[in-house]
Order: sequence, then structure tokens, then C-alpha cells
Amino acid sequence: MNEVGGETAFLKVNNLCKSFDSLKVLDNVSTEIRIGEVTCVLGPSGAGKSTFLRCLNRLEMPESGEIICFGKNTLTHGYDIRSLREDVGMVFQQFNLFPLKTVLNNVMLAPVIVKKMKKPEARQLAMRELEKVGLAEKAHSLPGTLSGGQKQRVAIARSLAMKPKLMLFDEPTSALDPELVSDVLDVMKQLARDGMTMIVVTHEMGFAREVADRILFMADGKIIEDDAPDVFFDNPRTERARAFVEKML
Amino acid sequence: MSALIHTLLPMLFTGLRLTILIAILGIVFAFVIGSISGYALQSKSRIARAIAFIYIWLIRGTPLVVQALYIYYVLPLIVPFLELSSTTAGIVVISINSGAFIAEIIRGALQGVDAGQKETGASLGMTNFQVLIHLVIPPAFRAVIPALFNQFIIALKDTSLLTVIVVNEMTQMAMSYSSLNFRYIEAYTALAVFYLVLISVLVVIQKFVERKLGVNSPAKPKIANLRVKLPIDN
Repeated sequence: MNEVGGETAFLKVNNLCKSFDSLKVLDNVSTEIRIGEVTCVLGPSGAGKSTFLRCLNRLEMPESGEIICFGKNTLTHGYDIRSLREDVGMVFQQFNLFPLKTVLNNVMLAPVIVKKMKKPEARQLAMRELEKVGLAEKAHSLPGTLSGGQKQRVAIARSLAMKPKLMLFDEPTSALDPELVSDVLDVMKQLARDGMTMIVVTHEMGFAREVADRILFMADGKIIEDDAPDVFFDNPRTERARAFVEKML
Repeated sequence: MSALIHTLLPMLFTGLRLTILIAILGIVFAFVIGSISGYALQSKSRIARAIAFIYIWLIRGTPLVVQALYIYYVLPLIVPFLELSSTTAGIVVISINSGAFIAEIIRGALQGVDAGQKETGASLGMTNFQVLIHLVIPPAFRAVIPALFNQFIIALKDTSLLTVIVVNEMTQMAMSYSSLNFRYIEAYTALAVFYLVLISVLVVIQKFVERKLGVNSPAKPKIANLRVKLPIDN
């Protein structure tokens, strides 16, 4: 078990609730995200997986509950959410590259303007991150000229350039053509091997089974299973999970 | 013919200077006013939204000519120290009038920027202001160029309406000339040609700006190629 300052959990989530209008998207969700673990969040669409993920860096504000990060509740008004976001990278389904900036500038931007890094230093850092995802030769291209898989790898490099301690992936391969999925998953696997703490909302069952340390299965706004992958895939505890696994495999 | 060369053209050129002065200052102020109120319109602050809304409602709801008459004749009666020269009043009218229309253009462009871009900026730890400067304004500005220049052209032509408060711009000069000697054909034909040339200059500037920003080719803004190549280690 990894520890930082005596804590094994990066985030402790207690009784998180969130509704959109009358729809209850998160219904009393409690769990903890442990340092060094890869957690895959699975479940049918509309289960609240993405909303759960987006609450963790407060892109969505839950109505009630708390998220404790090293002793502090991130949902309080006075909490410095920007410094948390510097430590928590996020990769989106739609890549969200900055279309007018070159690949290199996409990756450099946050280190330069958020961390006030000097440009030459940021450029070196960005090139290293691009090399890791195999796209150093695309540094001066514009995002519009890249394939979906390349875009998503740039998006990952852009997050990694902030040297995050936790990475959130919100269906990172769902918008990709099938043959491009593996490029992105390979990058994520390498990241997991390097010991990154990751939370991955995904429909890639093979990836979840191979890489995850832990599966959170969500349905109707609740976490209804929290298992090791082999338990979840081979012997789900609930009927709901069993049906889901059968349908997906 | 000699009246044309010796009287009409010098008069029109005198008026041209004022037309250009009012148009340029008017457009610059209108852009500033329009950007601020356009931002206010889509901001979270209710008060800012309300103020911007009332301003735009008043200006779009009344004709420019009425606004000019009001600022030039009525305002000094209400607030004594607001007695403006006709030229200053003209600049003010063009600025606040065009500003209201530009506000709506800016609001649309700001709202048109993909919410995912703003979220991504936030997720990287940027402040709202950094997101605005680095992620929202660049694409919004590109999107706004055609509509903005359209408004600039309208503003330039609207300066001719300032004859109602006797600003000595081109139209006023052409009217003065023709009222003296009734040479309507040459006066107003020359006047129309002058406007056409001025507008053409604006159109050329628009094309130049669009090319620089790559407005017509979404995937490849030329500006990205203007980047100075820097040596990259490793």
C-alpha cells in the first residue's frame, strides 16, 4: 500500500449527492481513492459515472456530502480548488484540445501560465511528455490535423505536463474509431505501470480487467459493487452486475 | 467641371477627414463598449447583465437619428455641462449605437466557445481570467471577425446620418454644395463614390485580417505558422 504523509487515501468521498433537476444522479456515494491504485468505474450509461468523476475535481458541485483530500474537505467554499486541480489531471471523452494552438503549445500552456514555468523549460517538459505518448514529431502540428487517437494522446500528455498525482479519465476512448483505441489504452497502461493513481470511467472491459486494481460498479447513482477485477468479472455479487458483465463480454 | 474640381472635391475631402475621424474613433469606442457589454451579457453577475440589457434595449430600440438629436439637443438641457460639439456628439452617438450591436455579436461568440474548452482550462488549474484570455477570446475573436466588420461598415455609413446635428462630414458637405448650385448629380454621385472607396478599404482590411487569422480555414490558422521557430532540445 502506498502512503503519503501517513495517508493511504488520496480522496475520501462521503455521502455524495447530486441531482440534475429531479433526476438523482449521485445517491449517497461513499468510497475512497487509494494512492497508487487504478480504479475503473464501470456501469450502464446514466449511472452517474461521469458526474462522480467530475465531482472529484469539482467541475460539478455536489449538493451534499464531502470529499476529503489529505484532511481537507474540497467542497467547502474556502478550499483552494485550483491547487487541487493542478494535482489532478483530467482527460475528456472529446479530447478538448485547444484548436488554435499547436500540439506543443497545448501541452506547454498550463505549465507556463498556471505554474509560471519559463518557456524553454516548459518546452523541454512538453517535448518529453509528447515523446512518452509517441507524438514528438507532431509537436508543431495543429490539433485539426491529428487523428482521434493522436488527439487523445496529446490530451494525456497535456495533463501529464502538470505532473499530476491523480489522473481522471472520463471515457477516454469512447469517441475513437475502434482501431485507434489500443494506442490510447497502451499509453494508459504504461501510466498505470509507472504507478500513477488513476480513476478511469470506461466501457473497455478488457482494459479494466487487465489494468484495474479495483472496479467500482455504478448503477442508478450508487456504487453497488466495489471489487477486485477478477471477483467482479468472474463472480459478481449482485444480479445487476452479473447482467452487466454478461452483456459487455 | 471646374466647379467640381475646385469646389466640390475640396469640400468632400474636408468632410472626408471628419468622416474618417468619427468612423475610426466611433468604431474603436464601439468595440470597447461592445466587448464589455457583450461580456456582461453572458456573465454570472445579474447586475452586469441587467445594465447591459437595458443599454442594448434602449439603443437598439431607438433610431440613430433620434439618438443623435437627443444627445446633441436634449442632453445639454438636462445636464448643463454635457454641451458637446457636434463632432464630439457624433463620435459619442456612433460609439454607443454601434456598441450595442457589437455587444450582441460578442455575446454570441463568447457563448459559442465550446464549454469543454473552459472546463479543460479549469481542470488544468487555470483561473477564470486565464481561461478567458487564453482559451475563450482567441476562438471567439476569430468567429466574430465577419460580423464585426459588417458592423464597422454600418457604423461608417451611419456617420452620414449625423447631418441631422450638422456635423460637417462628407454628406453634410455634399448637401451644402448642392444646395448652393443645385448640381445634385455630380454632388451625390461623387459622394457615393467616396463612400464606396472608404468601404472598399474596410473590406480589404477585413480580408487581410481573415487571412492572417485563418478565418476561412478552421484547421489551419496562418497565425500558427507565424510562430518563430525555436530550437528544441532533445
